[in-house]
Amino acid sequence: MTIAAQRFDENPCRPRHFKPPPCVAIVPDGPAKQALDACRTRLFVTGGLFALVFAVVALRVVEIVAVGGGTAESQIGRFRIVTAPVPSHANIVDRNGNVLAATLDSPSLYANPKQIVDAGDATRKLVKVFPNLGAAEVYAKLTSGKSFVWIKRHLTPAEQYSVNQLGVPGLEFEREERRVYPDAALMSHVVGYTGIDNAGFAGVERALDGVLKERREPLQLSLDLRLQYILHEELQRVIDDFTAKGGAGLIMDVNSGEILAMASLPDFDPNHPAAPDPEHPAISLADRMFDRNTLGVYELGSIFKIFTVAMALDAGTSTISSTYDASHPITIGRFTISDYHGKHRVLSVPEILMYSSNIGAARMAVAAGAERQRQFLARLGLLKTPKIEISEVAAPHYPAKWREVNVMTIAFGHGISVTPLSFATAASALVNGGILRQPTLVKLPAGPAPQGQQVISEKTSEQMRKLMRLVVEHGTGTMAAAPGYVVGGKTGTADKISGRHYAERKLLSSFVGVFPINDPKYLVLTMVDEPHPNRQSHGYATAGWTVAPATSRIIERVAPLLGVQPVDESSPEVQRALMVESLQGKRIEAY
Amino acid sequence: MAAVLRWPVSPRERATGVIKLSTLFWLVLVSTTGFAMFAVKYGVQSLEEELNRTKKAILAEEHAIRSDEAEWAYLTRPETLDEMNRRHLSLGPIATRQLRTTPTDIPLRAAAPVAADAPVVAVAEPPVDSAPPPIPESAIAPASPEKPLEPAELAKPAAAKALAKPVAPRRPRSLDELIAQVAASR
Repeated sequence: MTIAAQRFDENPCRPRHFKPPPCVAIVPDGPAKQALDACRTRLFVTGGLFALVFAVVALRVVEIVAVGGGTAESQIGRFRIVTAPVPSHANIVDRNGNVLAATLDSPSLYANPKQIVDAGDATRKLVKVFPNLGAAEVYAKLTSGKSFVWIKRHLTPAEQYSVNQLGVPGLEFEREERRVYPDAALMSHVVGYTGIDNAGFAGVERALDGVLKERREPLQLSLDLRLQYILHEELQRVIDDFTAKGGAGLIMDVNSGEILAMASLPDFDPNHPAAPDPEHPAISLADRMFDRNTLGVYELGSIFKIFTVAMALDAGTSTISSTYDASHPITIGRFTISDYHGKHRVLSVPEILMYSSNIGAARMAVAAGAERQRQFLARLGLLKTPKIEISEVAAPHYPAKWREVNVMTIAFGHGISVTPLSFATAASALVNGGILRQPTLVKLPAGPAPQGQQVISEKTSEQMRKLMRLVVEHGTGTMAAAPGYVVGGKTGTADKISGRHYAERKLLSSFVGVFPINDPKYLVLTMVDEPHPNRQSHGYATAGWTVAPATSRIIERVAPLLGVQPVDESSPEVQRALMVESLQGKRIEAY
Repeated sequence: MAAVLRWPVSPRERATGVIKLSTLFWLVLVSTTGFAMFAVKYGVQSLEEELNRTKKAILAEEHAIRSDEAEWAYLTRPETLDEMNRRHLSLGPIATRQLRTTPTDIPLRAAAPVAADAPVVAVAEPPVDSAPPPIPESAIAPASPEKPLEPAELAKPAAAKALAKPVAPRRPRSLDELIAQVAASR
């Protein structure tokens, strides 16, 4: 009862005047007790709340550590972690992974003149790094008193390093990006180019801008850099040899529709699209930017005869042994249709193609009829704008009313203008077994070829292959032969329209070649605009003398790269596969 | 006595010793937890810094790789390779006649004159002290066991056989010579 009091009493350190409480602790009563009880309750409630909160925290800790550690870790990234400056556009590579377009960081140099201590010294140092900058101009900028002036945009890593080495305070870098095209003009029309902020302005860059922005992995095109180089070089050679205005060409996989190379000359450097060509300053920028393969529509001339023959054979209005009288020119209205390589006699279907007889082709088309011809060309996709992964595509020109004269001229490729791309797509369908496939610039995944549309019968396709082989073996395209690769094809020399008339001296020579024609794999289309005869060509500027030899050279160079094995062209298997029945036993008049 | 057990009794009065023990327990717990917490916090901070550093380094590397790829593409563009080929290698496109589709198409080379190589082979063989210097006549030598008349070699019964096989560790001077050697060894 008095333990506490005694203890205080006994304590020697107790304050002198301390009086221990008289006796036991007073147990409060009445209102005091109530107040104490209230206090106690409040304490319990508060303590309970705290306990609850701590329990929640503890449970959460247990959850993070034992149960959901991974998810918690994933949250770390949101805080204070450097975010990667992802390039705004993915790279573009060719089918073998060679970079065609890359986005590179290219810092720009600016100065804060207010922080520049010695403008004269800084100018001297800067001009040493950038000899192209004018000292006076730089000095004026550095003493302008502003707080921001650009010194030089888009530095190379080496230049940035040199500027850092200068150690001049007040010089700063701004991170910027730049699209770089390592192959310069080689792919210009296909890959295209970009403007400020890397927005695509032409080619794949423009058509697939959204795709390039979204992906991080490079976009793989169907093009092959090596093939493109060969095509480009051979086209340039033809243009130089025959002092032509321009040229175009493409190599296509006839069984998948993939375009392996596509070049149009003259071209431009996508790194500096607006800069004039140092070698040919006279050629206008518009001409160099013009993609003749997809944006140019041309009356391709005699190479169109393959469609006339295919149409007539497929519809059954002609057979391989049909004959047509080509002894006299046809006069219809104000037109006279005559033959360039005239034979002046009755010609069979193979001969019409071999000797490129306009009269014969016109008569074949008339026999088939206008509606059938129009429908056939429409089925081959020649009457609509081609679809491909670049935005510069042009719609074909053809007569609204398909009169008899149109039937005749279209039979030999005049009076209808199509893009070389549309032509190559349709020609692929003629030789690959009759299946029309969408052309593409994006590499297709390995495996079976994409779905196509059967446009002619397999039998007609086989006949076309044999006939196209004849053209190269004995006809107008003998110079396109590439021994071992069994080339088949068709020449075409068209008079260009100037104003309302055809200009005699302005030609458009083209050649479509397929190899190996007994088992078609690749198509090579070459076209040269306004070639002029030279001494080697004996005064000719026709397709047989200009683009046919170029096709031969191209095929000989690309075939080993494409893994096409040469065969013995005189072997019985090849001969049998390409034998034209109607000519069996007959002598083919040497051209 | 009953009053002692009655509540409220001042906690101080009730059990001073017990209080001290629990205080100590909490104190230790708090300081341990505090220490552990700060240790973890600083650990995390330094890890984050390291992570940031690494990420920055990765970014720098990625950027370097991107520029290197572009530079590689620029340096190996067909135009440059063509030019360099013209200057240093003079390789031309493969002619069709150079391509053979099956190994059987490759004609076998006619047996090369092995005899011409023989004296050199003989010289290259064991440095025989007592052997006479090779004479030009030894062009037909390897077949005859006369020349290396070393007693030790003679003791071996297979010596003659070993000689008959022209072991030619000599470095060929040209591709044709190499092919000739391979053909001869068959």
